[in-house]
Amino acid sequence: MSLPAWSEQFDRDRLRNVPSTLPPIITREWAWAGATGAGVRVAVVDSGVDAGHPAVGHVDGAVIVEHDPEAPSHVRFVEGAHGDVFGHGTACAGIIRSIAPDCELFSVRVLGARLTGKGHVFAAGLRWTLEHDMNVVNMSLSTGKQDYFGLFHEIADAAYFRNVMLVCAVNNVPGPSYPSEYASVFSVAAHVDKDPLHFDYNPEPPVEFGAPGVSLDVAWLDRGRLTASGNSFAAPHIAGIVALTLSKHPRLTTFEMKTVLASLADNRTAALRAG
Amino acid sequence: MSPRRDPVTTLARLAADLGVSFLPAGHQELLRSITEAARRLFEAGACSIALLTDDGAELQFITASGAGADAVTEMRIPAGQGIAGWVVMSGQAIAVDDVAQDPRFAATVAQATGYVPRSILAMPLETARRVLGVIEVLDRAEHRAATNRDMELLGVFAAQAALAIESSTVFNDLGRFLLEAWAGASTDTDLADRLRRHASTAPQPRKDMAEIAGLFYELGQSSASERRLAARVLREVLAYTRDRSTGDDD
Repeated sequence: MSLPAWSEQFDRDRLRNVPSTLPPIITREWAWAGATGAGVRVAVVDSGVDAGHPAVGHVDGAVIVEHDPEAPSHVRFVEGAHGDVFGHGTACAGIIRSIAPDCELFSVRVLGARLTGKGHVFAAGLRWTLEHDMNVVNMSLSTGKQDYFGLFHEIADAAYFRNVMLVCAVNNVPGPSYPSEYASVFSVAAHVDKDPLHFDYNPEPPVEFGAPGVSLDVAWLDRGRLTASGNSFAAPHIAGIVALTLSKHPRLTTFEMKTVLASLADNRTAALRAG
Repeated sequence: MSPRRDPVTTLARLAADLGVSFLPAGHQELLRSITEAARRLFEAGACSIALLTDDGAELQFITASGAGADAVTEMRIPAGQGIAGWVVMSGQAIAVDDVAQDPRFAATVAQATGYVPRSILAMPLETARRVLGVIEVLDRAEHRAATNRDMELLGVFAAQAALAIESSTVFNDLGRFLLEAWAGASTDTDLADRLRRHASTAPQPRKDMAEIAGLFYELGQSSASERRLAARVLREVLAYTRDRSTGDDD
């Protein structure tokens, strides 16, 4: 009997048994106790990372993505060590390192001297992370430009199917925000709590997770530090927690990881404790 | 004679030159009142709006209120550095409580204006079409509630300012907007692509023509007899220049 397309893998003779990845009850102990982030590749798509900052320690790879009208697709890639243009990428890397100290950090610098071709540079940076086998991508930036809706949607879907977990800061400006508002990404906004492992789950999308992002002491330029606030600092907290969990449970898919986070969110466990 | 231009380019040129004369009154005042209202609401030292220059390389302040306002207005800073630069590049809002710790911020804005703020709250001005610039609130009152609440509030001001700026930009870039609208409405893919290509290189208003269009706009608000007088003067000027026939048609 011939089956409709895509049904072959569900044929009784071919159907694979898939080992279960989630326990009946998900706990923080199960999720990341003893984990360090080792073996997980995390990309920070931002303004570059200062590898020499004490909060970062080192980076395992770096690429600059920049607009170049002469290059194919108008985008050029320069692999090799680089600095941080603004300080923000270093702040994100520092937060991720503080939560998942042994993860492999990669800096994908997409913010530079000018705005020309920004959307295509962002998109090319994201594609680079897919092509270089990143497991987690922190993207504390967004665009509201309608023209990029389809482009980013396609990349976000590709990431989802490859289990590359995109963690995106939502913006505070009313109106659309890509890629943070797609269902396939982990969208994050700031809450006032300071405990780095305190995160909340919002069952009303598009913003699904809340993490620390108000008046935080973060790494910045010239080996310095700043006190800063923004959703862009909340995202790397979730990226760090995802990296930590993934280092202990590398087979988790993106939707299973969301299930883990939704189960372990502080507002969920508080509700359980309250009965 | 000037070289023959295709009708699309001519249309874009005409619209660009005339657009300014349709600009609604009070645009600059509206932006100024937005910064003033934000400054008062946040009990802040200053509030300003900076827009990206056409090449996207700099931020130019167009309005400000509060401390250092005069010094900051018209000032340009590189878009590729500092807290405002990151905001406009990333499309994300940020607040920094101890700005002086950012070496590159202190070296640019603050030195030029003589006003060194302690804190900054900065948010992008963005529409569905593009990033316009940034709105900044300096030194909010310290007793104010959590920063994330203030960010939400500033978002409302940012949306209003972006709308005001976008509407004035429409008039400035009328040629480009016309072609883009035409492309959007076209069911012919080849035609739409050609129009979009034209739109991307559509001319800016010429300075002298924009000035003339601006004068027409003012004339439109004067009395009928004044308009008749202006028309008579213009006819005289044109008759005189036709006689001279300089051939300088650019």
